[in-house]
Amino acid sequence: MKRYLTVAVLLLAAAVLFGAGQRESVQGITLVQNKPEIDAQLQNYGSLWTQNSGIPVTIKSVGGGSGADMGQQLRADFAAGEMPDIFVIAGIEDYKEWESIILDLSGESWNDVTSVAFTHDGRVYGFPVAIEGWGLAYNAKLLQQADIDPAALTSYGAYKAAFEKLNSMKTQLGIDSVVSMAASADMGWVTAHHNFNSLLSNGLPYGDLSVVNDLLAGRVNRQRLSEYADWVELLFRYADRTVLTTGNYDAQVGAFAAGRAVFLHQGNWVDPNMAEAKVTFDMGFAPHGSMHADTDGIFVAAPSFYVINKNSKNIEGAKRFLNDMVYTEAGHEFMVDKALMLPAFTNVDRMPTGQLSRSVQKWAANDKLYSWSQYYFTNEFRDQTLAPIYNQFAAGRINKARFIELMTVAFEGLK
Amino acid sequence: MKKRYLAAAAEALMVLFLILFLYPFIIVFINSAKDSFSVTQYPMRLPEHWGQLLVNMRSIIVSPNIRYGSSFLSSVMITAASLVLLTILPSQAAWVLVRTKTRVSQLIFMVLVAAMVIPFQIVMFPLISWFRLIFDVTGIRLLRSYTGIVLAYIGFGLSLSVFMYHGFIKGIPLELEEAATIDGSSQPGIFYRIIFPLLAPIHATICILHGIWIWNDFLLPLLVLGRGNRIQTLPLAVANFAGAYVKQWDLILTAILMAMIPVIILFLAAQKKIIKGMVAGSIKG
Amino acid sequence: MAARRRLSMTFWIFLAPVLIAFMMVIIIPFFIGVFYSFTDWNATARTGGALQFVGLKNFTDSFSDPAFIHASIMTVIYTVINVFVINVLAVALALVVTSSLRLRNLYRVGFFIPYLIGGLILGYLWQFIFNNAIPAVGGFLPGFGFLADPNNLVLSRVGSSIAALVIVGTWQYVGYIMMIYVAAIEAVPESLYEAARIDGASQWQGFRLIMVPMIAQAFTITMFLTLVNSFKQFDVNYALTAGGPATMFMDKSIFGTELLALNIYRTAFVSNNLAAGQARAVVFFVVLVIITVIQVRINKSKEIEL
Repeated sequence: MKRYLTVAVLLLAAAVLFGAGQRESVQGITLVQNKPEIDAQLQNYGSLWTQNSGIPVTIKSVGGGSGADMGQQLRADFAAGEMPDIFVIAGIEDYKEWESIILDLSGESWNDVTSVAFTHDGRVYGFPVAIEGWGLAYNAKLLQQADIDPAALTSYGAYKAAFEKLNSMKTQLGIDSVVSMAASADMGWVTAHHNFNSLLSNGLPYGDLSVVNDLLAGRVNRQRLSEYADWVELLFRYADRTVLTTGNYDAQVGAFAAGRAVFLHQGNWVDPNMAEAKVTFDMGFAPHGSMHADTDGIFVAAPSFYVINKNSKNIEGAKRFLNDMVYTEAGHEFMVDKALMLPAFTNVDRMPTGQLSRSVQKWAANDKLYSWSQYYFTNEFRDQTLAPIYNQFAAGRINKARFIELMTVAFEGLK
Repeated sequence: MKKRYLAAAAEALMVLFLILFLYPFIIVFINSAKDSFSVTQYPMRLPEHWGQLLVNMRSIIVSPNIRYGSSFLSSVMITAASLVLLTILPSQAAWVLVRTKTRVSQLIFMVLVAAMVIPFQIVMFPLISWFRLIFDVTGIRLLRSYTGIVLAYIGFGLSLSVFMYHGFIKGIPLELEEAATIDGSSQPGIFYRIIFPLLAPIHATICILHGIWIWNDFLLPLLVLGRGNRIQTLPLAVANFAGAYVKQWDLILTAILMAMIPVIILFLAAQKKIIKGMVAGSIKG
Repeated sequence: MAARRRLSMTFWIFLAPVLIAFMMVIIIPFFIGVFYSFTDWNATARTGGALQFVGLKNFTDSFSDPAFIHASIMTVIYTVINVFVINVLAVALALVVTSSLRLRNLYRVGFFIPYLIGGLILGYLWQFIFNNAIPAVGGFLPGFGFLADPNNLVLSRVGSSIAALVIVGTWQYVGYIMMIYVAAIEAVPESLYEAARIDGASQWQGFRLIMVPMIAQAFTITMFLTLVNSFKQFDVNYALTAGGPATMFMDKSIFGTELLALNIYRTAFVSNNLAAGQARAVVFFVVLVIITVIQVRINKSKEIEL
């Protein structure tokens, strides 16, 4: 009896091993993207699109842990010889990594209705997934209670006064801290990616790379850096220490959503979290106060782009998938109503439902925008070199002078 | 009399310690029955509605990206196939290594066991390019296939298996086999009829140790199977709830609970045997 | 003669599957990996496939990187503490669950259960506990108010973060190691104690003279297992501290609790430098081999002395 059982198990194992080895190839397209939170919506849109176009589409959403995970998956796919037809890049560093297989999309008609496609050397390569923006998100109700006009928050001085006032009213307002900020090892992207960008582009014309180029060449504008350090210090000083030093994304966003902090250092991607927390107060974005002079704008850009694999077996299908997202009602519905994104295309006239997305839209409509320039610095530089410096500053282990010094040394090392 | 009180006090202390020890599981359980916001904001509170647990379970089961049924099945198949092979192949190898006392067999045993110290990081990427090379040259698909992942688990698991079987077989008296040889049994016959059943406690131990590892493993399936492909395991599926920025804690914890329950039930059901096996197998080395 | 030939046929037939799998999965990739560590290899489209030899550059770069040196030191410290704590606690628990306590079987199962769960999950779980539960306890327990002070957060300092890694590592692994000690203790025949008692030995003497040598015998394997596993620690490190908090080392700001496996992972994936990660993995391997060889040698010689 036992013997038969063993044989049966062996046969089963053999069947699993060898039977499953074969696999038919499907002439469809595959898309890999990095927002698992909109996966269900994208899957639905994908199957709808397949019904209309007759082209099967496989959508894979990759998340998990740190921001490096999609890159890791793509590298594994590449090593396995299964590079997807459409995948996502996040700027110039990613572009350089995959340059040899990214298709030129300059001839696509959606270029007429967007100004934020990914371009390199005058050619278009990336389809903007969405517009994203951040400033300092504020809780309008709490600001009103403290009699502070968010429109006046345009400089370091204005923020300093406002933070001091709010801090003195803590019990009255029922808050733990003024600003919800995170700088733990997990949250390097808040400090060394997003906050860092204030140093790079705040107050400069859109697309101005002068500061970026100076820093990449190891030239540091001491005045600008020192004003920026004032701003970082201010944010850290008035943040909740627990959230600041050890909190994760949920802790940071949750404190704001629960009304325990007046400001939140995040972008419009927190809208779904706000909806989930059933937030009732009004909110919007105010500019960053990283300069002593007035800066009247927030950071807005398309941070990630779909690109098409040059070696795809169905380039036309992949192109059509992207094109249909821009030019069909179903595409619009997916982007705005389902995925709650802010589309990067002027021909889309649906209004987003999230308050912060609307705030971004308002700033954009008034053309008061600053660039996202952080992607000109490598992941390694931001995550491994800058992030620990911010972390130490946040924990109070180094002072402002030392922070400036370490940042300066880091930039000088880029030469 | 005094001794009785002392014993009772010790007993109470241990129970308290055990509860503290297992407290993290209680946290998983109570937070599985909350929505995402409450998980992160009030992780220590008891849930308001226990029914939320069913809601969360339902969203996991119907989620198109998780494909819970097929992911579960894939996990079961991969774990089962790997365990069957990780008991049969290493046990027969260990047997011939023990019974053949030559320098070659000693060397082979040493190399197999020494491989336990090879860090996974050193082989993971070369493994992928190597598997791909095999596909390009021979057409045998090892990536994105059951064959490949099971082969990989055999490769990574065999060292510990051989090591444990080797230790146990050393303690089996040779007379048993000699009697069978006189009866005219072939070598493989002796092994499968006499030795293999004797190894039952080690089989159980191997199955639980490797079973835990394979069932929970993340990095190896990520590399060999990839995310979102036709074959995905439960840990890969669960990772889909964890975005780069946004983590759906309610669903992650519920999914953990759902993946954990079968393992714990299995363990509790077989714990007597498993513990006996661990006791028998782990020491003789 | 015939018997011998038949044996060696069986020998190779029985070994073949294991050896083939071992070759395919470990040996060949291992050597490919070592080879890559001397090149500028990257699994992306960037280099277009042409491998360049760079000699020892990846190794010299690693040894001049403060993060790598610090990670090595931290790994050694973590390993030493972890091996010590796990083994001490495991012995203590093994004594408890082989004692006459009534619920000893329940304890056996209970202490083993954490081992059933993956390290990533454990890491996230304990992050909750250190960041939320402990301060909450400080909030309502009189006399423990200091726990609620943000300056005392466990994960906000390097020292206590390492301690946290040890706690979680121990919690996960102690049940397994405990089982091995249980095995050692139960391998002592009851008659030995009887004999000792008849000879007039006290309970303590019985413990010291009979049980301690038996436990010592298990050391070789428990030390090996805890050593290798502590040294390779990745999951808990990744999920619990992610390397934080940062600290100053060799005039550079770096992540203070990043252990070697995490450092290798980040070098390879975050910094997009696979070949350098590969080189670090080779160094890691060599160190691990040396340490384990020394450990096994020492333990083996001690075993004989006892």
